Amino acid sequence: MIRCEALTKKFGGFTAVDHVSFSVNQGSIFGFLGPNGSGKSTVIRMLCGLLEPTSGTAHIAGIDTARESDRIKSLIGYMSQKFSLYDELTVHENLQFYGRLYGLSGAALQSRYRELIELTHLDPYLNRRAGLLSGGWRQRLAMACSLVHRPKVLFLDEPTAGIDPVARRELWDLLFTFAADGMTLFVTTHYMDEAERCSQVGYIHLSKLVVCGEPDALKELPVVNPLGTRRLELTCPHAMSALQAVRNLDGMRSATMFGQSLHLLADDALDEARLRSTLAGAGIHSADIRPTTPSLEDVFVALTASRESELASRT
Amino acid sequence: MTHPFRGFTAILYKEFHVVLRDPFTLFFMLFPPLMEMIAFGYALDNDVKHMSTVVLDQDQTVESRQLVERFVNTQTFRVTGFAHSPEEMALQMRRGEAHVGIQIPQDFTRNLHAGRNARVQVLIDGSSSTIAGSALNTAVAVTLRESVGAMMAATGRTDLPIEVRPQILYNPAMRSPNFFVPGVIGVVLQIATTFATAMSLVRERERGTLEQLLVSPLSRWGLMLGKLIPYLVIGSGMAAGLYAIMSLLFDVPIVGSGFALAVATGIYLFALLSLGLLLSTRAQNQMQALQMSMVFIMPSVFFSGFIFPRETMPEIFWWVGALLPTTYFIELARAIILRGATLQEFGPHLVILVGMGLALFGLCVARFRQKMG
Repeated sequence: MIRCEALTKKFGGFTAVDHVSFSVNQGSIFGFLGPNGSGKSTVIRMLCGLLEPTSGTAHIAGIDTARESDRIKSLIGYMSQKFSLYDELTVHENLQFYGRLYGLSGAALQSRYRELIELTHLDPYLNRRAGLLSGGWRQRLAMACSLVHRPKVLFLDEPTAGIDPVARRELWDLLFTFAADGMTLFVTTHYMDEAERCSQVGYIHLSKLVVCGEPDALKELPVVNPLGTRRLELTCPHAMSALQAVRNLDGMRSATMFGQSLHLLADDALDEARLRSTLAGAGIHSADIRPTTPSLEDVFVALTASRESELASRT
Repeated sequence: MTHPFRGFTAILYKEFHVVLRDPFTLFFMLFPPLMEMIAFGYALDNDVKHMSTVVLDQDQTVESRQLVERFVNTQTFRVTGFAHSPEEMALQMRRGEAHVGIQIPQDFTRNLHAGRNARVQVLIDGSSSTIAGSALNTAVAVTLRESVGAMMAATGRTDLPIEVRPQILYNPAMRSPNFFVPGVIGVVLQIATTFATAMSLVRERERGTLEQLLVSPLSRWGLMLGKLIPYLVIGSGMAAGLYAIMSLLFDVPIVGSGFALAVATGIYLFALLSLGLLLSTRAQNQMQALQMSMVFIMPSVFFSGFIFPRETMPEIFWWVGALLPTTYFIELARAIILRGATLQEFGPHLVILVGMGLALFGLCVARFRQKMG
């Protein structure tokens, strides 16, 4: 449904997006991750036909987004980072406006309006100005506005930034419904739990797409699981002092806090007995140690670290 | 599906709601022009009346007092003080207590009766050239009439050798408001409308709603026309209010047809709004939009013939004026309001205004990029 080939955007001497290629199947949820300023929004803007790529191509449903930007406009919905609504218009007026903007009128507009209100449960707020809505309701309204013309592909640029957990969960429930109906979703996020829910994940770092694939496949990558190492989860009281104690052991590749436990990446040579004796030395006598699989966060941390060392070795 | 004004009704719907929902903006669009109009209308009055005058009468005769009386009767002068020496008179003028000084020497009556040259000195403060010029003309006229009267009495003639019978057309009382107020309306309309539309697209750019519009199938013509028409309606209402104030408060009657005036005003507003939109396609933020509008507003005040007649300007400024819609509108408005001219008589002006409006509107559609970055 979405296909990019060597998509590149330069602003003057700065390359914001560097030869990015990926494809997204219809009905899937593509999670697009990466630090701020890594080029996520620039990719979305090129896909929506808002920015002309410097080189490379992007297609949506087989249509070139740069050369035929008028044709893709009716296919796509776009919910930008700021939920661009007209603050002085009410919920009702915002929806009416976007409906008309996409060429709806009369009975067709009214029935679509009803459907969207029902979908997003906005009916108690119809006469409230958009500027007075809380974050979660603004997001729902913005979503309803971007869905008014039944787009085939919906782009959501950080839809859950600054939204409370309940609203976040409800949004994702909606996204799954849309995907089940065959809509293709393209979501940028900073939340790992959201990334885990995506059918496909792409990670962009310093303008380059570092990796792209299903979350489970990414966890199997050799970079994430170096040969001769294993991942352990260590649960014990005083996890903070345990971290201090084990962090600098020989053969400890990385050690991070994860809630009440520690996630460790250790060489096979570093055995459990050694760990336990070190912990005992720090006054911790009971600990639960078991093998574990990497989380997506581990994947991105490992990928970023390997890419940075690669860049450093080159210069 | 792909008609050229796609999205026009949606933008129209939105703009009307946004404008009417925001009474603050509406108030600041409507109120300052009204105040400016009233302030300008009263302040720009160069009818010189009742200038403060100090008299140094060293003659102290019936004739000398009569002469002062003649000066006062013109309504141009008002005696505010008497001096006892030339130094005192000079001091009062330097302090700004009087703008005119009349000195009548003690041999005035004696010389007058002896048929010799009787001299009167009139000092005029030239700080303000308009006022000084007017005072000078009046003073010369008063003394000339007295002289002629004296000569006629001496020669026995009862009528003047040449008599001029001037007739002032169109503004018989020669009131300044009749000249200034139509011009003030032109300038004030420009300030209000250019700012309003210059801001409108820029505000959408700043808030991020423009990005949302750009991903929709909205056409450029639809966007621009939808943005322009609400302000055209508001501007027309404002113009009607200004014309009402002009005729009720400043007693400037509209001699020509109201329809002609409405047509001229509508075309003028269209040109101004298009200019504002053109600026807003270029400005990145509201500050820039404001500065760009000022670049066009200042020349309109100085070079449009609003205050200073264009005929006496250096040629370059005359040409600057020729590029401004305000210039043509002010000439049209004065012609219709004061002289009762018809649109046909000012065809070229109308054609130029229409041309400017269409060119500016076309340019703003052409210059508006539907891409970012």
